[in-house]
Amino acid sequence: MSALSRPVPVADEQSAPFWAAAADHVLAVARCSRCGAFSHPLDLACPHCGSTDPAFVFSPVDGRGTIRSWTVMRQSFLPGFDVPFVLVDVELRAQADLRMIGRLMDGPDAAISVGAAVSIVFEDIAPRVSVPAFALSANS
Amino acid sequence: MAASNQVAIVGYAQSPVRRHADQTLGGLTVETARRAIDDAGLTLSQVDGFVTASLFPSAGAHAAEDGVSLVSANWLAEHLQVNPTYAAGFQGFGQIPGAVSMAVNAVMSGAADYVLVHRALHNPQGRYHENPMQEARGSRQWTVPQGYFGPLAMIALAYNEYLERYGATREAMAAVVSEARKNGARIPWSYWFENPLTAEEYLAAPMINDPICRFDCDIPVDGVAAFVFTSAERARDLPRRPVYVAGYATGAPVTRRLPLHWPLDDIMGIGVETGRRLWARSGVRSSEVDLPQVYDGFSPFVYFWMESLGLCPAGEAHRLVLEGGIDSDRPGALPVLSGGGALGNGRMHGVPQMLECYLQLSGRAGERQRPDASIGVACHSSPHFGGAVVYSADPF
Repeated sequence: MSALSRPVPVADEQSAPFWAAAADHVLAVARCSRCGAFSHPLDLACPHCGSTDPAFVFSPVDGRGTIRSWTVMRQSFLPGFDVPFVLVDVELRAQADLRMIGRLMDGPDAAISVGAAVSIVFEDIAPRVSVPAFALSANS
Repeated sequence: MAASNQVAIVGYAQSPVRRHADQTLGGLTVETARRAIDDAGLTLSQVDGFVTASLFPSAGAHAAEDGVSLVSANWLAEHLQVNPTYAAGFQGFGQIPGAVSMAVNAVMSGAADYVLVHRALHNPQGRYHENPMQEARGSRQWTVPQGYFGPLAMIALAYNEYLERYGATREAMAAVVSEARKNGARIPWSYWFENPLTAEEYLAAPMINDPICRFDCDIPVDGVAAFVFTSAERARDLPRRPVYVAGYATGAPVTRRLPLHWPLDDIMGIGVETGRRLWARSGVRSSEVDLPQVYDGFSPFVYFWMESLGLCPAGEAHRLVLEGGIDSDRPGALPVLSGGGALGNGRMHGVPQMLECYLQLSGRAGERQRPDASIGVACHSSPHFGGAVVYSADPF
């Protein structure tokens, strides 16, 4: 398994703007054109207003959030990851219950706690492919 | 009232539960089905309905092949050389309660007179949940590139939320896992037969995805169980004491989430409703249940189910277990893992809970017979992504 590399995201027609923004190290989340609410992950309908024609537009959002949970991955079931690494479940400041899961770049020895403040960062995993991750905020 | 003791289980069979069977899963299923039909005092020609949920519940990139890594209802009927009047597969959440509900509905509607429900689980070669994918497409693109994948990471996040919110410790979970293994060690067909686990061994185990260690996970196995369902009226003419289905309930999430993201508030918000539905639809109260069997494919489900069923207040399950509250050998305890569960038998995915309800309520548990068993609940999967069935020894 260690000979294989990390899996890369494959953008589709709907998600292409997210990954294009990520390549520029910008966090852009889908916003419903009908009600203005953010959705992550993207869906065919808006989960907030129910519109089946949400005409989602990816809009840059504040990358700050708080940790809701975490795990330390000491074994990976995916190829290409060096263990141990930390995954955090983050609630973004941009909208209540807007959640994202990503690696915490500070690593397993960092002071991780529920409620700790984090900010979005990006990992460059392949040419023009960057993946959102998190780092503990300086003042947490 | 949905089921109302109109349908009963009248026979069963359970295969040995092994890491790798020395025959195909399909072959094992055919044999187990035949034994269950014989156990019910029926002939094969009388069995006209076949129901299962044939999900192969692994995150790995293993081939899903009928007869090899899973066994569908139609595959089984064909290989028994039966042209069934009713054959169906459950595709929803909570494979065991789902399959049971379909069998109950088939009997109640008259679609079939005698329905065989089976569940076949397979342990493929190679690591069970390991997936060598190099590209993450579709919904996987949102979590896999970050390294979030597989049910262990999923349950680790939810369990860590529980530990942090309620101040629970791993010592409490050691009591859960050692209880499951204690009882599984008493069951001859169990993978863990004569092989209990101490709390010390549990606490010494290394982490896989913190706070989940190896013993928080059920071990993948090859195994098959089969049960025969018929009407309460027809059950009267058969040799075994019937075990009636009093009711069932399922729960499903409504909040759109990332793949495999199960926030604790999602689990418990829906879970409490699953519990409410179960009591309403079965006509029993949680206090009347003397044989709750909670799902334990991952150990944290034990807490989630105990609290969803209202066996203890929210956030208190860890305290209850630490005080010996689920020690099935203690009078007055909640025997929630008396059947060993998945942790004590092997990854039989909801079967051990159902089997324990059947064996105890029919009086067929032998040396393990509990004298007071009259109302059982068999839970499967998550309370927000699964369900439960209430069984009764009497057609109240």
